[in-house]
Amino acid sequence: MGDEEQTRAQLRHGLRIATLLVAVLTVDVLGLINLLRHLGSHDLPAAQFAAYAGLTAVLVTEAVLVLRRRPWGALRWPAVAVVFAAAALSYLTLPDGKTSTTVDWLFGAAGWVLVVVLLDRPFRTVMTVLVAHELLALANLLLFHEVSRSTLARFATGSVTVFGLPLCVAVVAAVLGRIGTEAAAATRELERVRTAEAVAVAAHRRRAQRFSELAGTTVPLLEGLADGSLTPDDPAVRRGCAIEAARMRRLFAESDTVENPLLHELRHCADIADRKGVEVELDARGHWPVPPVAVRRDLTDAALTALATAGSWARVTVVGSGGEVSVNVVADCGELTVAPPVTPDVRVETFGSDGTVWMEAQWQPAN
Amino acid sequence: MAAGELITAVIVDDHAAIAAGVRYWCEQADPPIRLIDAGERLVDVWTGPGAEADVVIFDLELVPRNPDFGELRRLVDVGRRVVVYSQHADDATAIKCIDLGALAYLTKREGPDHLVSAIRAAAEGLAYTAPSLSGALAADDTPDRPRLSPREAEVLRAWFAASSKELVAAKLHITVKTVDTHIARVRVKYANAGRAARTKSDLVTRALDDGVITLAELNDAAL
Repeated sequence: MGDEEQTRAQLRHGLRIATLLVAVLTVDVLGLINLLRHLGSHDLPAAQFAAYAGLTAVLVTEAVLVLRRRPWGALRWPAVAVVFAAAALSYLTLPDGKTSTTVDWLFGAAGWVLVVVLLDRPFRTVMTVLVAHELLALANLLLFHEVSRSTLARFATGSVTVFGLPLCVAVVAAVLGRIGTEAAAATRELERVRTAEAVAVAAHRRRAQRFSELAGTTVPLLEGLADGSLTPDDPAVRRGCAIEAARMRRLFAESDTVENPLLHELRHCADIADRKGVEVELDARGHWPVPPVAVRRDLTDAALTALATAGSWARVTVVGSGGEVSVNVVADCGELTVAPPVTPDVRVETFGSDGTVWMEAQWQPAN
Repeated sequence: MAAGELITAVIVDDHAAIAAGVRYWCEQADPPIRLIDAGERLVDVWTGPGAEADVVIFDLELVPRNPDFGELRRLVDVGRRVVVYSQHADDATAIKCIDLGALAYLTKREGPDHLVSAIRAAAEGLAYTAPSLSGALAADDTPDRPRLSPREAEVLRAWFAASSKELVAAKLHITVKTVDTHIARVRVKYANAGRAARTKSDLVTRALDDGVITLAELNDAAL
């Protein structure tokens, strides 16, 4: 949405500046040169200068508006009126038989000024106003000047540039507006499709990754239970199930947005033990940096296994000091085999004594 | 307290069930501990039988979320031996209580395992460090904390993690007595840092007498 508006605004602004430059050239350079060169031919030079001042005032206003990036707004129709008044004043005070000549300096210039004022209006508005100006010039010719084949021919050829060129600019403005809208719509659609695709790919990857993480341990267990090769009576199978349940809980907890992910995931692991009637104490002291997911898995793996297999009690503690964090779990569980940590900065120690197992996983981020 | 006499403790806690539970533990202890229940009336700690009690068991939050450090300071300043027994579990509160001169800081969850031991230690003027306080000291990273040796920090962390000194001793291949010595040295270093309080200077003097820590180590730790 923002992009669309920006593209269109940029196109319009460029065209507005270009049109203003052309108008300034026609009025204040070419127009002024013609006016000064034929000053002697005019009966009322003051009227011509007044008309010149009117057009210049409109262009100066436009220049200010362009700089401030403001539209004409309420000033638009008064400005059009000023142009028409200037045109009427200039045409009516023209010397006889000089219509559509270089003496008639305003004839070629007024159209540009009108386009400047009406550039952001619909095409038919610009068209109507330009035609009105043409009719004003034609009426002046027919009513107050000698109508001859040569004057009409001059009017007709003059009109090609006077009417045609500003009209071309108006057409371009209309077309640009439409192209801008279409381009922005196309861009938006493309972005929407790309976003949807990226989301789908990410979701798929995450699912595939989750599945692969569970495939090695959970899937064989489920398959064994399904084909009858593993029986739920077997304490080892039950222990395996408890561990896998905790692992899945941890996996789901990993994507939660929480302030302290490590503690959050440990709470989920502790919950599994709590449900089995194991008395769990969870206490944390100090501060630690948020470890990446892989490190958190290494840190919680030992705790997870011990918690899932604890007999009646477990104590889980986390201490963060001096930039390192250590996760300890002490529980009355049997001999445990815990996979070695995957990340290099994690150290896991297991200590067993009289049916009590104490596992410590320490992480010291390498700087 | 003369040798052979029963230890007397006064408890200030607004929850009747807590006081009743503590009374039960005290009666079951061997030898038993005589408990005076002051309810939530702080005045009973200062006058009557409560004033004579060897140990004050002090609930830090008689008014919820408003720890009464001022009262703790007043008790310590007249030389009372205080065991803080609190619902509150954050590190800063625990360390502040120790800094003010409380001999022990226990969370309510640690009551069954540690309160009686803490009362006994406090009655003798000794510090008692329960696992939660040990964890708070291990994680203490305030700029003016005393300097601990790596072994002391390790023992603090292990004691917090295991909540069993036998397990700590077995894991670190030291004796339970050595575990206690390391923890005691940490408490002496903390007692020597910060503001002076009568119970704290007693603690330091006694630690020096007993050779738990030397004067040189004490100066070193405070640097």
